[in-house]
Amino acid sequence: MNYSYWLSNIPGIGIRSRNRLIAAAGTAQEVYGMTEKQILAVGGITRKQAGRIAESRNWDYETPFEKMMERGILFVSREDAAFPEKLRNIPDAPYSLYYKGSLPGKKKTAAIVGARMCSPYGHTVAHKIGRIFAESGTAVVSGMADGIDADGHWGALAGGGETYAVLGCGVDVCYPAANRELAQQIACHGGILSEYPPGTRPAAPLFPARNRIISGLSDLIVVVEAKKRSGSLITADYALEQGKDIYAVPGRLYDQLSEGCNGLIRQGAGMISDLEEFRAELALCGIGGRNTQELQKLSLEKDEKLVYSCLSLQPKGIEEIMAETGFSVPDAAKALVGLMQKDLISESGKNKYIRQIE
Amino acid sequence: MYSIVSTAIIYGIRSIPVFVEADVSGGLPTFEMVGFLASEVKESKERVRTALKNSGFVIPPKRITVNFTPANIRKSGSGFDLPIAVAVLAALGEIKIKNLDHIFLIGEVGLDGRLQPVSGILPMAAEAKERGITKCIVPLQNRAEAMLVSDVKVYGADTIQTVVKILNGERLPEQTEAYNIEETAPTVRDFSEIKGQPAVRRACETAVSGMHNILFIGPPGAGKTMIAERIPTILPPLSREEQIEISKIYSVKGMFKNGCGLLRERPFRAPHHTISVQGLAGGGSVPRPGEISLAHKGVLFLDELAEFKKETLEILRQPMEDGKISIVRVGGSCEYPADFMLAAAMNPCKCGYYPDENKCTCSRTSVRKYMQKISGPLLDRMDLCVEAKQIRFEDLQKSCEGEEKEESSAVIRERVERTRAIQEYRYRKETFSCNSQIPSSRILEFCALDEKQEAYMGRMYEKLGLTARSYHKILKVARTLADMEESERIELRHLTEAVCFRSVDRTFWEGRG
Repeated sequence: MNYSYWLSNIPGIGIRSRNRLIAAAGTAQEVYGMTEKQILAVGGITRKQAGRIAESRNWDYETPFEKMMERGILFVSREDAAFPEKLRNIPDAPYSLYYKGSLPGKKKTAAIVGARMCSPYGHTVAHKIGRIFAESGTAVVSGMADGIDADGHWGALAGGGETYAVLGCGVDVCYPAANRELAQQIACHGGILSEYPPGTRPAAPLFPARNRIISGLSDLIVVVEAKKRSGSLITADYALEQGKDIYAVPGRLYDQLSEGCNGLIRQGAGMISDLEEFRAELALCGIGGRNTQELQKLSLEKDEKLVYSCLSLQPKGIEEIMAETGFSVPDAAKALVGLMQKDLISESGKNKYIRQIE
Repeated sequence: MYSIVSTAIIYGIRSIPVFVEADVSGGLPTFEMVGFLASEVKESKERVRTALKNSGFVIPPKRITVNFTPANIRKSGSGFDLPIAVAVLAALGEIKIKNLDHIFLIGEVGLDGRLQPVSGILPMAAEAKERGITKCIVPLQNRAEAMLVSDVKVYGADTIQTVVKILNGERLPEQTEAYNIEETAPTVRDFSEIKGQPAVRRACETAVSGMHNILFIGPPGAGKTMIAERIPTILPPLSREEQIEISKIYSVKGMFKNGCGLLRERPFRAPHHTISVQGLAGGGSVPRPGEISLAHKGVLFLDELAEFKKETLEILRQPMEDGKISIVRVGGSCEYPADFMLAAAMNPCKCGYYPDENKCTCSRTSVRKYMQKISGPLLDRMDLCVEAKQIRFEDLQKSCEGEEKEESSAVIRERVERTRAIQEYRYRKETFSCNSQIPSSRILEFCALDEKQEAYMGRMYEKLGLTARSYHKILKVARTLADMEESERIELRHLTEAVCFRSVDRTFWEGRG
């Protein structure tokens, strides 16, 4: 019998109680052998919880454990050598983890976090940073949520790197459901982790708690876009508590999605103002982005140059572009589609265009 | 004595001749009606008997039998009252039987013997003329409608007594022309009222020129509805045949406006999004035309497309391909024409401001769900899609100064007519007449590309993740754009513009380009 699994699955015993029991007894097997009196002697354990522990000794823990293994979900506890070292010493460290794929090893890891409802700009930047990490051999850790999280994962995958997702639900529950393909990719090129047993449904209180694992697993974290009072800032707080490096992508004043990031920078977080500099700052090997000289080499037509110059990383509608350049619809369309074909811009909404980085 | 009267019922938008026979003979006094009657026709017995009594005719205690032929068609509607009354009166000898030859009768009667108008007069009168009828007697209110059919003498009667006088050849005061054939008042709407929005105007003109379906996407208050309402003003005027066809549909639906003559304007139908499947497609136990048929040869505008029920929108798919809809019900099956141009408008998300993150309050899931309400196949059928943006202040001001006036509908319509004429000439030997109707098997023939363009489109196909259908739509729109410039060949600029106005990509709402 796997005693760690038993200890992790007693109803009514939470992370804190579990840690107290382990602190008192040493291992899960020892806890299993404790009498009710001994258990009650451990501070902070209620009579009701002691009763639950006694009761659970009669239950069958082996069948569900085997079934879980059969489904490809692995289990690791602090008592195993495989348990991530980085997680052992954080406050309220998880006692056990369920995972699909693999666990992050000893190599460098970085978290990319940010808003679910991100702007096209944030989406591009998160993807790009994920890629930079992957190309430098750093694994990307995030929460597999919509928006920045997903883009960070996708960026890492695009760069051929490893990426790990920490969920606030069971590892077999794909939340949000639309990220199913991403989940599959992550399980193949890294792993999906959770401290909650398989089958746990996503619930609001679980998500902030998993953020401490995201920051705990990472050597540094990057916040791409975050509103004031958002989950990404909770992750940043944990990271601060755990003594990790924090980087933030600056944004414009009045831009709600950048208020959180700008706040972090004001508090002393590292500022990512240039991706190449950031790459160098990490002492990573560099692979060049698209600079102005290259742009000139692409031999843009005059019209395309004019249209490109009036676009930015904020979406702009075709009518605005026409007003600024004085082009007719066919001319504007021709330039826009031409630029799109050269991967210089992309359409972020119907007839809304942004510059593409890369 | 035996008599027979000619009348008709409406089936789809066709009229089927029906004969009402009456026989009066000795025996137990009864009033019987047979011949596959719907309940409203069975009720007609009581109405007719009382109406005849109140009109001063005595019904003797004899055996009266009324039969409707052909007996295999279900008779419904309230227009049989007058034919029954006349058939009975003729059988009783009040009207000379030979006077009933080549006469068509229709109308509902009240208990006091007064005639009430019925719907579907126009198709019935047209059909009556074709089978050699020379005189029609209809309720006075329906006279104008029946008179739209030429070469038939139409009498409008107000009571049963008047009908009897007409049939017995009494001289009546000459009835004046019931309507004047003057043009109906021109619409008050005009494209010049739309300020700025050059891309939207251009997309509208393109859509109308090739009869392409169009989708407007934009935040609330951007004037999507206002623009759609003005689309009929730039459609080419209706031909005489089209006017008659549309008038028939409206006549069947009982929506014919009296005293206006044939419908001269292209219909613009904008059903509310709470409409039922039957309301949109047509239906009911006795089939009646729905909104898509009322929009025949005109514009069907669906505002707030995402708010429509999914199953309601799904039924649009077949009529959009075929230009007609077949409805099968217990009461019979019939076919209604439904050849319309679809214009639709929607917000990009629930609050309407996506992808403006500073204004949009929706969650990623809600944005995605909003889009998923509209089925992919329906989106695929939209040929053009354009963003309707908030009007710029400078453009709003333009109108007040009155200097740079925007183009009026009349100017645009002239160009549209020229483009349509080019298409009609090109497709003169074909069964279709517009670029949007080119079948996929003939695309390569009419929308030929040179090698360079082909390679270009091949790259775009990959890049934009097009489907075969959306690719064909782009080619058809490019064909229209070329026709608008009177260019024989499709040029690269036409392709790029068509790509720019292509239907929406689901990926915009996925948050991942």
